[in-house]
Amino acid sequence: MTSAFCSGCLTQLRQTPRAILPPPSTAVPRTAAFHTSAPLQKVVQKAKASGYEGPRYRVGANVKIKKKGRPQEKSRPPPPGERKALRKRIVLSNPNALEVEGMQELNGETMVDSRLRGSVLALPVPMIDQLRAVQAFKTSQGWSIFRRPGTVSRRETLEMGRLFDQISNESAGDRSSLKRIITGQRKAGKSVHLLQAMAMGFTKEWIVVSVPDARDLVVGTTSYAPLSEAQPNLYVQNAATAELLSRTATANKKVLSNLLVSQEHAALPTVKPGMTLEDLAKFGIQDQANAWPVFQALWAELTATSATPGLEKHFTPRPPTLVTVDAVGYWMQNTAYHSIKHEPIHAHDFVFVRHFLDLLKPGKGKSALPNGGALLYATSSSNNPSIYAFDVALKQAAARHAGVNPSSSEFPLPEPYSKPDTRVLEALNSPKPTVSKEGMLNVQELGGLTKEEARGFLEYFARSGLLRETISDEWASEKWTLAGGGVVGELEKLGRRLRVAA
Amino acid sequence: MPPRLNLFAARSAVPVVRQPTSASAAQRYAALSRPCQRSSVQSVQRRWTSSDKSTKELAEEQRKAESMPHVSEEAAEINNIMNKEKRCDGTPSSPELEQGTPVSEILSRDKEAQKHAPKVFQNQMKKPSGSRSFSTSARNQLEENKGPMSDAENAALIETMIGQITEETQELMPGLKYPAPASIPKTEHLRRRYSPVIEQFTKNIMRDGKLAKAQKDMSIILDILRSAPPPKINPKRPLLPGPAAPQLPLNPVAYLTLIVDSVAPLIKLLHARGIAGGGQATQIPLALAEKQRRRAAIGWIIDSSAKRKDAKFAHRVANELIAVAEGRSGVWEKRDGVHKLGIAARVNIGAQSQKKKAMSMAY
Repeated sequence: MTSAFCSGCLTQLRQTPRAILPPPSTAVPRTAAFHTSAPLQKVVQKAKASGYEGPRYRVGANVKIKKKGRPQEKSRPPPPGERKALRKRIVLSNPNALEVEGMQELNGETMVDSRLRGSVLALPVPMIDQLRAVQAFKTSQGWSIFRRPGTVSRRETLEMGRLFDQISNESAGDRSSLKRIITGQRKAGKSVHLLQAMAMGFTKEWIVVSVPDARDLVVGTTSYAPLSEAQPNLYVQNAATAELLSRTATANKKVLSNLLVSQEHAALPTVKPGMTLEDLAKFGIQDQANAWPVFQALWAELTATSATPGLEKHFTPRPPTLVTVDAVGYWMQNTAYHSIKHEPIHAHDFVFVRHFLDLLKPGKGKSALPNGGALLYATSSSNNPSIYAFDVALKQAAARHAGVNPSSSEFPLPEPYSKPDTRVLEALNSPKPTVSKEGMLNVQELGGLTKEEARGFLEYFARSGLLRETISDEWASEKWTLAGGGVVGELEKLGRRLRVAA
Repeated sequence: MPPRLNLFAARSAVPVVRQPTSASAAQRYAALSRPCQRSSVQSVQRRWTSSDKSTKELAEEQRKAESMPHVSEEAAEINNIMNKEKRCDGTPSSPELEQGTPVSEILSRDKEAQKHAPKVFQNQMKKPSGSRSFSTSARNQLEENKGPMSDAENAALIETMIGQITEETQELMPGLKYPAPASIPKTEHLRRRYSPVIEQFTKNIMRDGKLAKAQKDMSIILDILRSAPPPKINPKRPLLPGPAAPQLPLNPVAYLTLIVDSVAPLIKLLHARGIAGGGQATQIPLALAEKQRRRAAIGWIIDSSAKRKDAKFAHRVANELIAVAEGRSGVWEKRDGVHKLGIAARVNIGAQSQKKKAMSMAY
């Protein structure tokens, strides 16, 4: 006859007396009688609380010493928002850097002066607040190591300056406009090019409307709602629109406070003719539910060429408008938002996005920017979505501007079976405008600086005390090559790179 | 019957084939010609039949060319030389007569002739040479008119000289379009592009092998050092000699190096057991190498930065570095503590070796 105990149980015999006689109040859990170890162990575990009972079943006899790791940080995490504030902080001055002697400021004369090509022009101090308001500075740009912010005057900058000067000098009501999509490789200076455009716009007292990062509107961080019951497939982002109004009102305060409401706005009964456009914008900022109608009203006021009959006394000619959008590639795909049927919403179904993309097309009857101005939309090359249709659309836009007939064989077409997003191709399908002064959509590619410009840029580093080298043509040429043919962001890296004397 | 085969004629008949310049070529030729000897002979014979001269005449010519001239010919030659070299008066020429001897030489060895020499010669012999009343040395008129060389000319002259030298060097170092650089800075090498302290600090702030994160933190630290106000040096805790405090932020690498080197301990303490007996450890001071010293300092700085309240790691470390520079940090106390213990434990320096010696003696 076999024993009822297995050998494993026999080893436990030493501990059993207490377990076998449990206090009458606690019932030993009953299990199947074929094995007794489970209920026994359970009781033993319970008794462990009283103290150490010797090594447990199948536990190694070795002494285990807990390793002392690095002392854990016991300090509390920083208060909410502090880390983000640190991440988003933009520092525009380094008091330790040397003041550059004879540095010129950007103004009406210097922005068109070709003799200053390759030199760094400082941004005027009063304008810095305006540029901060439109979020023209980015954290990835190296503003924080120089005494004061400045940008290099390159060929494209001077060309843009001349165009801005020309548009400003035209008579009000008959100004031309400029439509450009700015492309280029990573660190080529696309965002800084937009910043220079904004600085020139502020210099010429234009109205500057800026979307600093198109990505913010499509990644699902803003509130959204259908536009109206009549149009359930169009969506509005009120919070984002209110922010746009806030940026525009703060940065263009001086210009907007001198312009008066001279149109009828049926959708906004609180808006009275004769109030300033700044106050109009503030309506939308305070009441976010009305942000989109207020923006539409403001846009109608800015693009008005004449007053509604009866309100002529409030009308003054509107200045040209500059619209900049950075990282426009994000607007060429489905967003992170979903419709009521839980289908992804295309970016072009948001009225905000649609408004700015429609400006690229020629206006019906009158120019898209009747008071003149410029549309500058830049692509981004870091962390941007790769959209085939957008790439093709850019090539098509360039070909159309070059005069290639869309039906000819030279016109770039998407590959067969590639299934390009037709909405994207359609959005950039901007034929030659019928209005004489309206510019046609063009694509401008930013390349590297020339060697002379690169030398001027590196000299600026040396004169700021950051670069301890003797700048010669040979040295600058070497760095120009190392920077991939004068890519300005790479030159900046080389300029601030720290070297040890050999 | 004349011999059918004339070797001399055969040699002259195939001059093109007979031109091996080197010994090896000659051997090759010999090896090649051996199997087809017969055919070459035949071709020679064919040549003979086509030529106008008879076999005898050809052989005669050949012998003349190869052997010494005839005795009568040689005699005629010698006669010609003797007769032609003769002077017009018929006496055979001698080297002295032919070349002539200067009068001054004859006068110098003949005292009698000196007396009867012309007066001009006598005057010349009395006066030491070179003391004539007028100068005969020629001068470059152009140079005299120019006066001292101008700077531009000097520069041009030097330039041409340098040009010549560069040309010479280019000849010496073929393959270089431009002269080779004198010395390439240390940091131009890909693997050594960061200065040693920066590299060591970066590797020491690395956690979980994330070097890119550590490099980003390092660049933030250097940017903070660059833009923070210059440190107010505590006179009790001075940094090592280096640039003045207001100049430090503009060279953050030197700034960081100076901070790390200033708090780096000179020694570490080795806890040696079994020397004093009774299970007690004996502290033995050991000198550290530069890298080890820096490692200790960097470790202390990172440890004490953990107590700071800044939101980001890089900011905590950067603020700790500035605190070290200003003498506010606890790292200085750590260094002092190690040095103090080291001084106290100086007596133990030889202890380990003495113990070993004693052990070996006992055995």
